[in-house]
Amino acid sequence: MSNQNVLVTYSGHASFLVSESWKQVLAALQSQLPLQSIHWKSASRPNVKTIQELDLTFLPLDSLRDEHTSQVPVTLLEKPLLNLYIVTCEDNDSYRTTVKKQIKDWHYTISQRKNQDWLILHVVRSDIKTADRKFFNMKSSVLDKIKADFNMDKRDRCVQLSWTAGDYSPVIWADLVNKIKDGLLFALNSSVSQREEEVRRSESQRHMPGWNFCTFFVLKESLASSFEGVKLFEDALQQYNELEVSFIQVLREKNMSWFGSLIQPAPLDDSMPLLSVSKKPYRDLILANSISVFDFRIYLLARQCVLLNKMRRPSEICQKVTSFLGTFGRRLREVEATLPEYFIESWIFSSALSVIDQCDTWVPSTELDGIQLARFSASKGELLELAKTQLDLLGVKVGHLPPKPPFANTLVEEIPTPHAEQPSKRSSTHRISKYEVILAIGDQEAFYDLYCATSNRAIDMYVKAGRRKFALKLHGFLAALDIHRGRLANALTIFTSLPAHYAPHMWTSLESFMLSRAINTHAELERPQDREWIHSLLSFLRTYANDTSKELISEEGDEKYVTHLINALHTAALSLDSDLIHSDHPIMAVQVSGDTTCSDDEDLAFVDATISNRLPCDVAVDEVSVTLRGRDSAGLKFTMKMDKIPPGQSTVTLSCPTSSWGLYALESSEVIMSHLRFQWQHKSTTTTTSKNNRISLVRVPRSLRALDVQIRQPQQTELGTTSRFLLVISTGQNVISRATIKATPPSGVQFNYSEAELEAEGTGTLEVADNAIVLLDAPADSDIVISLPHSDASRYHTMKIGLSVTYNTQSSLDVIRTLQTSRVITVSLPIAVNVEDFFRGKRLFSKFTISTTSHQYVRISSTELQGPPSLNGVKISGCRPTRPVITVTPEHPVNFLFSIESSNGPVVEPLNLVIKYRILRDEVEALIRQTVEDVLSSVSGEKPQYCSVRRALIDKLISHLESNAEWVETYRATGEIVLPDSFDDGGDFHGPIRQALAQCRPETASPCPWREIKIPVDVPRMNIVTAAQITIQPSDTQSDHLPPVYAGQPISATLILQTSFHWAEKEGKQSSYKMRYDVEERVKDWLLCGRKRGDFVATNGGSFAVPLTLIALHHGEITLPKVDVRPLPVSTQGSMGSMVPGADTSQAHGAEKVLILPRGGRTTYIVGMGDEN
Amino acid sequence: MPPPLRLNAVAFISPQNHPILIRTFQKGDELKYHYVAHTSLDVIEERTNGPAKSNECYLGLLYAMDDIAAYGYITPLKVKIVLALPLTDSVVRDSEVIMTFKALHLAYYHASSNPFLRLYDTPAGVGSSRWKCFRQRVDEISRAIGGTSVPS
Repeated sequence: MSNQNVLVTYSGHASFLVSESWKQVLAALQSQLPLQSIHWKSASRPNVKTIQELDLTFLPLDSLRDEHTSQVPVTLLEKPLLNLYIVTCEDNDSYRTTVKKQIKDWHYTISQRKNQDWLILHVVRSDIKTADRKFFNMKSSVLDKIKADFNMDKRDRCVQLSWTAGDYSPVIWADLVNKIKDGLLFALNSSVSQREEEVRRSESQRHMPGWNFCTFFVLKESLASSFEGVKLFEDALQQYNELEVSFIQVLREKNMSWFGSLIQPAPLDDSMPLLSVSKKPYRDLILANSISVFDFRIYLLARQCVLLNKMRRPSEICQKVTSFLGTFGRRLREVEATLPEYFIESWIFSSALSVIDQCDTWVPSTELDGIQLARFSASKGELLELAKTQLDLLGVKVGHLPPKPPFANTLVEEIPTPHAEQPSKRSSTHRISKYEVILAIGDQEAFYDLYCATSNRAIDMYVKAGRRKFALKLHGFLAALDIHRGRLANALTIFTSLPAHYAPHMWTSLESFMLSRAINTHAELERPQDREWIHSLLSFLRTYANDTSKELISEEGDEKYVTHLINALHTAALSLDSDLIHSDHPIMAVQVSGDTTCSDDEDLAFVDATISNRLPCDVAVDEVSVTLRGRDSAGLKFTMKMDKIPPGQSTVTLSCPTSSWGLYALESSEVIMSHLRFQWQHKSTTTTTSKNNRISLVRVPRSLRALDVQIRQPQQTELGTTSRFLLVISTGQNVISRATIKATPPSGVQFNYSEAELEAEGTGTLEVADNAIVLLDAPADSDIVISLPHSDASRYHTMKIGLSVTYNTQSSLDVIRTLQTSRVITVSLPIAVNVEDFFRGKRLFSKFTISTTSHQYVRISSTELQGPPSLNGVKISGCRPTRPVITVTPEHPVNFLFSIESSNGPVVEPLNLVIKYRILRDEVEALIRQTVEDVLSSVSGEKPQYCSVRRALIDKLISHLESNAEWVETYRATGEIVLPDSFDDGGDFHGPIRQALAQCRPETASPCPWREIKIPVDVPRMNIVTAAQITIQPSDTQSDHLPPVYAGQPISATLILQTSFHWAEKEGKQSSYKMRYDVEERVKDWLLCGRKRGDFVATNGGSFAVPLTLIALHHGEITLPKVDVRPLPVSTQGSMGSMVPGADTSQAHGAEKVLILPRGGRTTYIVGMGDEN
Repeated sequence: MPPPLRLNAVAFISPQNHPILIRTFQKGDELKYHYVAHTSLDVIEERTNGPAKSNECYLGLLYAMDDIAAYGYITPLKVKIVLALPLTDSVVRDSEVIMTFKALHLAYYHASSNPFLRLYDTPAGVGSSRWKCFRQRVDEISRAIGGTSVPS
């Protein structure tokens, strides 16, 4: 009935209707169909409904019989909605005489009919019609006449079609099509509103006696099918939905006399396709008031689904069916006793499957786009899962499945009591008819196959829909089935793979359920307890410790179960062949509580740790350890051997054989269970959560009696040789049997371990090793000094050297102790030395200027210029120091002068400048240390508290002196240290120390050792050494004395240039050089006559003399002019270039002065006496 | 008058899809309701990621399976609440379900306002066994709905 098109009748003059031209017109008209986009605006509906497409069926009016005389309301479309009358007459006269009468007759019959509209179509042949004919014809046309005669209301129901054969253009049809649409809508509107009115009236009588739901249903359904006929599926579905609601209302009112029973099971009821509306004569049953609720609801559902399919909403079909099967299945359970055995399960199962098949044929999946397809698959999956659930129920009932979760739930468990005696008194003689289900009930294997197939189909669908979690759940069911079937291996694979899917969401309950299943299965399989098993067991324990509800794990004996598992874990860990590390497991936690303490008699540190065990049972372990991390990544590992960790919190004391001290952070902790290692990282890294963000700090105190290593600069430094520094190892209380010292230099510096040597003999022995210093047999309470050479470190001002010492002591040889620390050493020298050289014949004078490189004052005890012992014929003499100690300040460098007299040529071998120095600060510190020591030993006799007081006192004194520099000048002058007023230790030692320090003492009093630095000095070479001399000859040659010289008096002088090649290098030495001299012209002092400038040839030991005449220009003591002597370039043989030989000139007369007397003589003055007249 | 609602189970799920609290009111069926809560996440995801995004908290019926109907609700801060109701033939009115959800949401809101909760514990910590208050509130809501008819 739903396929019925809208009917349109036509009639006209009988002769025309049989004519060929009408057939053409009709065919052309039908080619315009279906009608497009009809907008229906109805008064009773708020929105404009749009019918996208509508097909019409044209019938001759005569063929329509009034055959539907029954009272049963069917669709409104059974009757035509529109009647057409076709007029071809073009002649006014014939119209008036005959045609008008015919139309009138037709119009009369039509207007009798209710809810039908009419339209007069005037067909004109457009090729015959001419314009002029109409133009001259003053009378109105036939169409006008028809309009005048029949248009009674405003609507124009007459339309002209000027048509030629074969013209299909829509333009000429537009008017007609619009008119047809109008007419159809008008008719539809009136008929629908009339039917709606009837429905409303019927519904309002619901509570009146005699009202019949079935009648109401049929009435309303007619409306729905009418909507369906005009392709308004939305509205049609709306009708059915309303019907469903009112049905449920009626159901609730229990006013159901007009229904048959809830269900009258027919033989094939359970296996028939659910969505077929034609499998039973539903309408007849409804009309006969004998339909059962079961059939009725199926019919309603099927109709709705058909409509949904037409609206292309397949996923909604599935959803509707799912919830219908679920809800109605519940209803059916109420009358389960009257049904064939397993009827409900079979019905739901086969219905679900049939719906899926139906949907698949209706909507091929290729027609849907992504999201729709996913939805569709999801709802199909739900249906399949529903089918699978029925198999669960069936299986449990029949005994193919165990009556426990996940297959059974309480719902089923409630039922068995009445169910037990049912088979005997089943009222129904029918049996279920679904073949697969019957087979499955009978045959266990068939059942399992069916179960798996259905589940896998559902999983498939869910996967397509992207519903991973549904698929996981079904996998869980399949695994449970595998367990039941004894396919443990399969089940194990599934169970071990499933937890990984639950873990990321911390869905611990399900994860732990899966894991416990996996473990149980593993146990049943009696597989070896290997690494994999340990992993899954640990994951299970993790969830066990985390899961707060613990609802899903095995019900009985939680604690026993876990204890058993832990014991098994321990045995498994024992049998592992290599270590298995497991990080951050929550069953246990280790936390350090408080600072560490030191042992009194050995190098050992203790720390208390709290271990919390979250399991309800003891955990057998071997060792607990905690790693602390200090600066420079120095690590300390505290360990403790243990047997077991009791449940809850327990405190243990961990120990670490070390002499390191300082501030450490808890880095990691570890619990070792034979080969299994649980580790926890406490330092916050990027990966850990904010939970672990708190760093717990641990202070490791310093034990003063423990092993210690210091680094010093050696007392003697020799520049140009391998640098060394000293490692001072204070053994403290330990008798060391073997210690390995590794030093980590800064980058670019290497240590030469193989050349390390002991500074003093008798305190242990050194063993040569490539990468460490190994010290053997060092006695207690001794300082062992080892000097360690290293590569050039001059680019550092200070070096930070990491030191790691591993050692064991005589008392406990098997304990390996460690010390990790770092020391800073100043590499740069505190002083700088500059040298200036003066050549005087065979002597060389070197002036060394010593200045400080820092702000520190440097005390210099002595300087010495040493030649190597092999040096012959060289005499070095220095100046005698005026004071025992000379102080170099940043402002005042100090000069030291040495003379080197070489008898045979230049000094080839380098000399060494040896400076003994110390820094004022070191000196004062040593002084203070000594003073404090003295004072303490004199004041207090008790020794024990000695150390701490001394150290504190010294530190305090030094810091006070650092803060104020006023005392420095006094100290330099007198050696008294005047403490600043701020110093007050508040103890007994304040006064004595102040007094002792303020004593006057010599500069050498400090016990601070002198440091020695040896600087190699190369003696310079010089090719030509010239001594220039101007001698003034006395005019009287007989007397040696220079006669008095007066200003303006010419003095004859001789310029003598003595040259020597004494300091020249042996190689490349020439016998003679050309030189040029130049006497300085000082025009204010001297007038110079003679060869002021000239060239001469210099030879070794030769001299050259030139006579000069000098005239002093004024009186006074005047120094003689200087002479500049330069060698002239010597052309070298190999190349075209020339070379100037090195030359040094000294003025032999440099210090001489000539006394010039003022010019004597008489001066006549004439004084005018005036004119006598 | 429709029969009063009966809650089979309530599940609170954090925005990261971690379970906060799964409370079942039927003994022995815990596994099933854990499954329901877990699988509901898929459907909630479908609904919230769909092309037509709505700002409604109430997601309506998520799915019906056999004898359970799962309803979903997502708070503005993306905490998901899933209700498992027994599937009955009678109409379940959305207004009642929404009201239940709002009560549950409020219970969660109150419980998470606990100043003693550690920040890194939220939201999962709210449902931990250390804090009983939230459980009690949820139980009370279940009792109030199941016991007396809810005025609507």
